[in-house]
Amino acid sequence: MMHGTEIQNEQGGGSLHASTGFAPLATGSEADAPLLRLVGIDKSFPGVHALKNVSLDVYAGEVHVILGQNGAGKSTLIKTLYGAYAADRGHIEIEGRRVSVARPADASALGIAVIFQEFSLVPYLDIAQNIFLGREAAFSRFGLVDSAAMHAAARIILDDLGLDYDTRSYAADLGVAQQQMVEIAKALSQNARVLVMDEPTAAISERESDRLFQTIARLTEKRVAIVYISHRMKEVQMLGDRITILRDGAVVTSVLRDQKSQAEMVGAMIGRASGSQLARTPRAPGEPILFTRDVSTAKLSDISIEILAGEVVGLAGLVGSGRTEVVRALFGADPIASGEISLSGSRAPATPDRRVRAGMALLPEDRKREGLALPLDVRDNATVASLWRSFASGWFSPAKAERDTRGLIAQLGIAAHGTRQSVHTLSGGNQQKVVLAKWLAAGAKLFLLDEPTRGVDVGAKAEIYRLIDQLVEGGAGVVVISSELPELVQLCDRAYVMRDHRIVGHLAGDQLTERAILELAVHQ
Amino acid sequence: MTVPATLDIRPSSLSPDAAALLGRLVLIVLIAGALTAVDPGFASVSNLLNMLRQASLLFLVASGLTLVIIGGGLDLSVGANLTLSACLAAAAIKTTGNPWYGVAVAIGAGTLIGFANGLMINRLRLPPFLATFGMLWVAQGIAYWFMAGQTIYGMPMSFRYFGTGFFLGVPLPIWITLVVCLACSTLLHRTTFGREAYFMGANQTAALLSGVPVERRRLLLYVLSGLTAGIAALVYLARLNAAEPGIGEPLLLPAIAAVLVGGTSLFGGSGNIVGTVLGAILLTIIVNGLNLLNVAATWHPFVNGAVVLIAILADLALSRRRPGSS
Amino acid sequence: MSASVPLQRKSGIAQLLGAIPGAGLLLILMLALFTLVNPRFVSQTNLVNVGLQTSLLLMIALPMTLIILTEGLDLSAGALLGLSGVIVAEALLAGWGVFAACAAAFAVSAVFGALNGILIAYLALPAFVVTLGTMGLMQGIALVLTNGDPVGGFTPAIETFYRSQLWFVPLPIVIAVALYAALWLLLYRTRLGNYVIAIGGNKDALRLAGIRANLVHLAVYVLGSAIIGLSAVLLIGRTNSAHPTVGIGMEFEAIAAVVLGGTSFEKGQGWLFGAVLGALAITVLRNGLNILSIDSSLQVVCIGLLLILALLIDQARKQFVRRAA
Repeated sequence: MMHGTEIQNEQGGGSLHASTGFAPLATGSEADAPLLRLVGIDKSFPGVHALKNVSLDVYAGEVHVILGQNGAGKSTLIKTLYGAYAADRGHIEIEGRRVSVARPADASALGIAVIFQEFSLVPYLDIAQNIFLGREAAFSRFGLVDSAAMHAAARIILDDLGLDYDTRSYAADLGVAQQQMVEIAKALSQNARVLVMDEPTAAISERESDRLFQTIARLTEKRVAIVYISHRMKEVQMLGDRITILRDGAVVTSVLRDQKSQAEMVGAMIGRASGSQLARTPRAPGEPILFTRDVSTAKLSDISIEILAGEVVGLAGLVGSGRTEVVRALFGADPIASGEISLSGSRAPATPDRRVRAGMALLPEDRKREGLALPLDVRDNATVASLWRSFASGWFSPAKAERDTRGLIAQLGIAAHGTRQSVHTLSGGNQQKVVLAKWLAAGAKLFLLDEPTRGVDVGAKAEIYRLIDQLVEGGAGVVVISSELPELVQLCDRAYVMRDHRIVGHLAGDQLTERAILELAVHQ
Repeated sequence: MTVPATLDIRPSSLSPDAAALLGRLVLIVLIAGALTAVDPGFASVSNLLNMLRQASLLFLVASGLTLVIIGGGLDLSVGANLTLSACLAAAAIKTTGNPWYGVAVAIGAGTLIGFANGLMINRLRLPPFLATFGMLWVAQGIAYWFMAGQTIYGMPMSFRYFGTGFFLGVPLPIWITLVVCLACSTLLHRTTFGREAYFMGANQTAALLSGVPVERRRLLLYVLSGLTAGIAALVYLARLNAAEPGIGEPLLLPAIAAVLVGGTSLFGGSGNIVGTVLGAILLTIIVNGLNLLNVAATWHPFVNGAVVLIAILADLALSRRRPGSS
Repeated sequence: MSASVPLQRKSGIAQLLGAIPGAGLLLILMLALFTLVNPRFVSQTNLVNVGLQTSLLLMIALPMTLIILTEGLDLSAGALLGLSGVIVAEALLAGWGVFAACAAAFAVSAVFGALNGILIAYLALPAFVVTLGTMGLMQGIALVLTNGDPVGGFTPAIETFYRSQLWFVPLPIVIAVALYAALWLLLYRTRLGNYVIAIGGNKDALRLAGIRANLVHLAVYVLGSAIIGLSAVLLIGRTNSAHPTVGIGMEFEAIAAVVLGGTSFEKGQGWLFGAVLGALAITVLRNGLNILSIDSSLQVVCIGLLLILALLIDQARKQFVRRAA
C-alpha cells in the first residue's frame, strides 16, 4: 500500500552525498559498534527508484531521527527494515552480524518493533487484547487467557506512558490520538532493542507528546535504539542525537545534533537554495467560482477559501494535514457538519453527481482506487463523467463515444493502442491523463486536482502542467494539492497552507516560497 | 509523447469477449455431440426445441440477475420472486378470467420486490446478499401463506400460449428470450445507464467520484431484476399451467450458475447477456444429459452446486490473471 | 465512533441492562403483548416449548455468530443440518452404534466446513457464493442418500436422548446453555477468540502479529460446521426421523437471530449473547403468532419485518447518540 504514496521526485536524484557534505561520525558514545546497520539498501518499484544505496547506523541508547519530505523514501525504508519489503540490494546487520529479515516475524525475533503510521489495531478487541495480540501465551493458564493478568500488564504499560485509558475500551471507541498511543504501547510492550516510530506525534496532542518524549528518554537510558521519523523541527532538535536527511530515496547527509541549523536542515530537505524557483507569470483572475465559509466535517475545522476563475490555487501541508479532506468536502464526497459551500454564486448541490453537473471535477489522490475502473477500457473511463452531457437523451452511441475518446486521446497525447485498451495496462502518467480526459469531456469549470503528478514520469508531468495552464486560460479555476513544494510554488498563483485539519496560512505573490510553506506546515 | 491513434486495433476482429462466447458455444456443441453419440434422439428437433424452451425459462430468471451482478450487486431473491409473482398472477387470472390481469400482477409484484431490495440496500445499508436473502424468505413465506397448501391449475388457453405456443415454428418462450436478451443487451451497450452499470461494478468508489448517481442506478438495477423475474413467472405459469409455492426456489442456484458460466464475473464490471444465454443453455444441456444417462433427478442440486463452485473458481483463476482487477 | 457503543459490549448482564439493542426492546414488547392477548403464553408448558425451540435455533445461531464475526456467512448451514441428520439416520439403520453414527456425521460436517473454509479463507472467495454452492452439494447428497424421502425406524435412543431431562430441565436446553458457555469461553477467554474477532476486524494486523490468520479463519468454518452437524442429532430426535430438507430455512433464521442481536457483518463487531437475544426474539415471535393462529409461512415474513424493524431502531438510535454527542 505504501509504495503508492512514496514516490520520488525524479528531478533531484543525481546529487547524492555531494552537495551538502557527509560529516564524518566519530564522536560520542560509539566507541562500540552500531546496534543496527543498514548497508547499501536499494529498492525499486515499477517506475520508481524508491531507495538509492541507503546506509544508516543506529546506536544503542540513541535517538536517530530520519528527516525528509513526503516521498523521500522514509516509509519504504521502514518497511524494508521490518521485512514487509525485500530490498533489491544491500543488507542489515545487528551488532555487527549480518541478519536476514524476510518477514515481520523475523524483525520481531531480532528485537525490532515498529509503530506504523497506519494503524494495526483490531477495532473490536479491547486495548489490552490489542497490545498483546499474538502474544497471549504469556498469560495463558490451562489454555485460557488470564484476563486479569493481561489487563494488569497492559495497565503497567499504559501507566508507564502516563495514559489513564480503560484497558477494557475497544480500539474502535478510541480517537485517533488514543489509537496512536495504544500503537506505541503495543510496540513498547515487546521489549524491543530497536524501536522505529513513524511520525508518532502526527496525530496526538501536546500533552501526549510530552509523555511520549519522557518515555523515549527512559528507553534510551535502557540502551534502546530509537529510529524516529518526523517533520517537526522542534522535535527533531529536541530528541535527535543523530539526524539523517533523506531526499529522493537517497541519504543527503547524516549529522550529529547541533551540527546543522534548522535552516540548513530545511534546505537539505528541499534540496536547493530557495530563490532558485522559476518565475511565475501573474494571471488575471476573474469572477469567484467557489467560495466556502467555515466548513467543518468530521475531519476538518472551519475551512474558508475562495477560488476565482482563471487562477491556480494550491493546498499545501503535510500528508495527513487535511488537504485531501478539503477537496472531498468540496466535491460532496464527505458530508459537511456545518458551514456553507457556494458554487458559481449559489449554494452547491448536495451530492457528487449534482456537483459534477454543476461543473466540478475531482482528480483523486489514489487514481487506481478512486479515479479509474482499472479493468475497463480507455473509452469507458474517459466518457463516464460526461455521459449525462454527451448523451443527454440516455441513448449511448458507441460511435460518438469512440469519436470523443479519440479526440481526447489526441488532445492529451495519451499513449494508448486505441480506445479499447484496458486502463490497467497504461503507464501512470497516461492513466492520470485519462482521469483528466474524463473531466475535460465533462466540461468542468472547477478542477480539484489531488496530487496530479504523483507517480507520473517527467514528460507526462510537463504535459500535465501545460494542461493546467490551458485550463486556467480557458477560464477554469484549479485547486492543486501537491507534496512536491517546487511544483506547488511553480504552478500556483497562491496557496492555502494546512496543518492539523485547519488552514493556518495563505501565501500569495512573492510570499509563496517553499520555505514559507514548509515553515507554516511543520509545527514550530 | 503523442502516440498516433491510428495504431488502434478495431474490436470488430475478435475481442476477448467474443472469443469467450465462441469458446462456450464450442463447449455446448461438443457436449451436445457427445450426448447425441450416446442417444441419437438427443439431436432430434423436438428435443432440441424442448431444451431451448427449458433454457429460456432459466435465462429469463438469470437475465436481470446478470444486470445486477454486472453492476456489482447480487440478487438471491429471484427464485422466490418468481414463485410469488406466479402464484399471485395465477390467482388473478383464476378470479378474473382475464390473462392480462395476471400479466399486470406478475410484473407489478416482481418489480415491487426488486424495488424493495434496492431500497433496503440503499437506505438500510444492508449488504446485497443479506437484503436479498431476507427477501427470498419473505417472498417465499408470503407465497406459502397465500396459497395455503393449494395449487392453482388450469389457465385459459389464451394465456398458456405464452408458454406452449409456437410462432413461426419456434416456441414462444424462445421469442420472449430473444426479446429480453435484445432489451438487456441494448440497455447494457446502448444506454448511458448500461455504461454506468459496468463502471459501478468495476469500481463503485470511482463511479461515485465521477458523478454517477450510484444509489439511483442501483435501485433501477434491482427493479429490472425484479421485472425479469416477473416475466419469467408468467412464462413459467403459462408453461406449467399451474402455480404452487415450491416452483421458484430450485431455480436460484442454476440461475447464478448460468450467469457465472456465461462469463459474468461475480466481482462486477464485466460480462454480457449473451453469455448468460449460453450459460443457461449449457446448464440445461447438462441436466438433460444427466437424464439421458439415467442419473436421478435428486442429483440436480448437487450438480448445480458443483457448477457454481467450479464457475467461481474459474472466474477467480481468470481474474487473478488480469492484473489490477482484484 | 462511540455512537454504536451499546452493541459493542461483548459479554455480561450489566451491559444488557445498560443498553438494550433493538432486538431486546422488541423482545420485551412482544412478551408483554402476547401475554396480554393470551395469558396462556406464559404457561409453563409454553415457556418450556419456547426454551426448546430457542435451543435448537441457538445450536445454529451460536456457531453462525463466530462465522459472521470473521466477516463471513454460512448459507449452507440448513442444508448441512439435513445432510448430517440423514447420515446419522442411515448409519443407525445400517447397524452402526449411536456414537459411531454421530462420529460419521461429525466427520462429514467437518469436511464440508473445511471445504467452505479453504475456499473462503485461502482463496478469498466471497462467503455467500461459496456456501451457496456447497449448500447445493449438501442438499444434493442428502437427497441422493434418501431419494428425497424421510428416514425413520431407527433406534429410539436418539428420541429418548432428546426427551430426557436434567433436574427437570429438558436436555436440549442444557446442551444449548453448555454450548453457549463453551463458545463464550472460546471467544472471550482464549487466544483463538481474539483471533476470530481480529480476522473480521483487521486480518493484516493478525498476520503482522505472526499468527497464521488463514488457518484460524479455516478453523472457524470447520468448528462451525461440526457444531451444526452435531446439532442435527437433536433435530432428528424431535421427530425420531430424518428429513433431507428439514434444515432448509434454518440458516435464514440463524442469520436473522445473529443480526437481530446486533452483530454486524463488518469489522468483527458483535457479541455472542446477541444471538441468544435474537433467537429468543424469533422464537417468541413465532410462538406468539402460533397462539394467535397465524400461518407458519407468514411467520417467516414477520421475522423479516422484525429484522428490518430492529435494524431501523438501531440505526435511529445511532443517529440519536451521534446528535447528542
